[in-house]
Amino acid sequence: MSALVLELDGVSIAAPGADEPLVRGVSLQVAAGEVLGLVGESGSGKTLSVRAVAGLLPAGFETEGVIRIDGEDIATLSAARLVDVRARRLGMVFQTPRAHLNPLRTIGDFMTEALVTVGGESRGAAEQRAMELLAEVGIGDPERRMRQRPGDLSGGLLQRVMIAATLAMDPPILLADEITTALDVTTQEEVMAVLADLRKSRNLAVLFITHDLALASAVCDRIAVMQDGRIVETLKAATMRADACDPYTQRLLSAVLPADLRTGEKGSDPVLVVEGLRKTFRVRAARGGRRESFVAVDDIGFSLSPGGSLGIVGESGSGKSTTARIICGLERPDAGSVSVKGEDWTLPARGTAGRRRRARIAQMVFQDPYLSLDRRQTVRQCLREAVGVHRRSDSLAELDARVDELLEAVRLDLALADRRPRSLSGGQRQRVAIARALAADPEILVLDEAVSALDVTTQVEILTLLDRIRRETGVALLMISHDIAAVRRLCDYVVVMQAGRAVEQGPIADVLDRPKAEYTRLLLDSIPHEGWVPQRRIPARTQSLPSVATSTTPVAVPPGRKR
Amino acid sequence: MSVGQLAGGRVPRAARHAARRDVLFIAAAAVMAVVVLVSLIGPFLAPYDPNQLYVGPVSGRPSAAHLLGTDDLGRDILSRMLAGSPTSVFAPVVVVILATSLGSVVAVVSAWFGGWVDAVLTRIIEVIFAIPGLVLAVLAVSMFGKGVIAPVIALSIAYLPVVSRLVRIGARTELGKPYMAALRIQGVGSLAICFRHLVPALLPAILAQAAIGFGYAMLDLAAISFLGLGAQPPSSDWGVMISSGQPSLLAGAPEQSVFPSLMVVLTVLAVNILGARVTEWAEAADR
Repeated sequence: MSALVLELDGVSIAAPGADEPLVRGVSLQVAAGEVLGLVGESGSGKTLSVRAVAGLLPAGFETEGVIRIDGEDIATLSAARLVDVRARRLGMVFQTPRAHLNPLRTIGDFMTEALVTVGGESRGAAEQRAMELLAEVGIGDPERRMRQRPGDLSGGLLQRVMIAATLAMDPPILLADEITTALDVTTQEEVMAVLADLRKSRNLAVLFITHDLALASAVCDRIAVMQDGRIVETLKAATMRADACDPYTQRLLSAVLPADLRTGEKGSDPVLVVEGLRKTFRVRAARGGRRESFVAVDDIGFSLSPGGSLGIVGESGSGKSTTARIICGLERPDAGSVSVKGEDWTLPARGTAGRRRRARIAQMVFQDPYLSLDRRQTVRQCLREAVGVHRRSDSLAELDARVDELLEAVRLDLALADRRPRSLSGGQRQRVAIARALAADPEILVLDEAVSALDVTTQVEILTLLDRIRRETGVALLMISHDIAAVRRLCDYVVVMQAGRAVEQGPIADVLDRPKAEYTRLLLDSIPHEGWVPQRRIPARTQSLPSVATSTTPVAVPPGRKR
Repeated sequence: MSVGQLAGGRVPRAARHAARRDVLFIAAAAVMAVVVLVSLIGPFLAPYDPNQLYVGPVSGRPSAAHLLGTDDLGRDILSRMLAGSPTSVFAPVVVVILATSLGSVVAVVSAWFGGWVDAVLTRIIEVIFAIPGLVLAVLAVSMFGKGVIAPVIALSIAYLPVVSRLVRIGARTELGKPYMAALRIQGVGSLAICFRHLVPALLPAILAQAAIGFGYAMLDLAAISFLGLGAQPPSSDWGVMISSGQPSLLAGAPEQSVFPSLMVVLTVLAVNILGARVTEWAEAADR
């Protein structure tokens, strides 16, 4: 066995003032050139363990046990030596590169900082080296990139910049904390391809933290499964399905959706018809403060039958959320029409009465339940309000009876009714949001990335719940998601969107099993699966896209589409 | 202990607990209680007629007969301060209430409707912002005549932009959050969204601004009185007393200015401490 570059021996971490440690006796070994996956649900202590290695724990956290970097016990090192060891021997990459880069400094400043301050190189030499590093992670035209700022780069590109910067000191190990969680599948594949190349060319070891077991088993050599601050077992990635014996690992492995959830009522009149929808946003130009228009949704049309389910898939910025927001009356389309049960819904309802009438028919569940619930309301207050809107003459007791019914329908413990969102888990919050959407007995439920922010096991719970609700109430689902697996299980019709256009649509089996469009095939191939080798498929893509933003923020326009 | 447990319903209790040990808070609350009480019943406590000349010696030192001494016209300083306390304390309160409520209304309307309503209101607010409060007060006095009313109205208008800007930004941020969109989709009425969700979310910021505003209003009103534009002698507003004590101050009898100044400083300090604490708790309970 080759030398260990990182070793954790019985490491426990306790929060200040807490009785129980958050991480208990974690032991890990990462050999040179090895990729060790650290997998577990949020709150299992993965990030804390890595932060302890990098010295990034919040103030007051206590660490016990031994951490060895390159064979040196960090507890025995002097403070100055420890800083130096961490700076030279560790590279760390985070989930949100944008939050870790100063938006006012150029990429060049960021890249050369470590080389100059730690490495003691001259400015010119550092810049030369920085450009080599950027080229190494597959960033084209590094000279231009060096002068740009984080705002000019897409998420995938920034993540590669982060990786390149950590390589500056030539560390033997990279700590990668959920580095692709915030990225689209296609971008994820590109970043993973970069990591795979670096592994080969530099013999780089990686401690890869993720909650995505499929991804971990595709890119790691060994996988450590973590639950409640403990490592429950460490398995070889290649044989983990067969070897897993801990019940928690088995639960994670089996956290896939029950197949064949879809049912569709054929032949009945569609409840929702969308035709030729188009929406442009005015956004600030990348340079010069002029305003340009950006086409978010371009000629989208589909129909949804009662009790049916339709999925819209695509990468962030593809216009799928905007489509959902137009249907729910949160945006005005520039052209096209939305009709629900024969009624024209193209423009947002005017006045409270109009909104209330529409609320009985269409409801929406948002991506982040913490942001879509009022943080000052308890669960009961929130649901009581949602119910009360449609039952204005009901007494408080009658409202509460309906609230209990809703809580029952989403399988939420009645004891949680008096809590506020901050003291609920992500899954519980999303159940509240779903209960609220069901308050009016809607006929259409729009799910805007409703499970994307949740852990795998919670995702499965929520999707199963949604399917059961659909069977029981006959509500039609419009599911917006970048997760093709979830859409495949739950929907019977799919629309694939790219840059505002529908590249392909049709019954789910036709589109996903026999994709005609190149883009659909690309999306499908980017999903980690058995025997998956990440590839750099479209090297030009991330370079030509100026910046990919989330659905709610304006997206910069490719040049040439001026107003 | 999980983060959830830590936050779940414990914050108000923690705040009460903290308040019990917070010496500064207790002191500020005590000062404020005394000030408010005095300004309510003070005029009846005055041992002498506040405007009666030569009840004691001219510029007399504090003594058993005149606890805070006498001024340059032989009036009892304690009696004058007590008599002046209602205007001195409640005039800034009125300024804060007017400026905060008007400013918040303008801000919420501006953020809610957006578009040209927002543009017009914002321009108006900016124009008001450009006029210094004291100039506005001078203007108001020349229009309405001298007295307490003119400066109170002038300062209310002068403070309005500060409140309005702050609250407008907060309201816009809040309105942009997904839960506001969720409420609209649910069919919740606009008034309910506004008063049940938007306004409570803005309250911490509004309270903080009101506390700071009180301090400024008290100081500015004192300054206006000091300039001779506010309450007029022989009224015993604290600002007027500070102002009319100037000659004595130079003559070596500081009592006439110092005691009212002390009251202004103490009151402003107490309100700011209380405001800061209340805002902290509102934010903590809000997280």
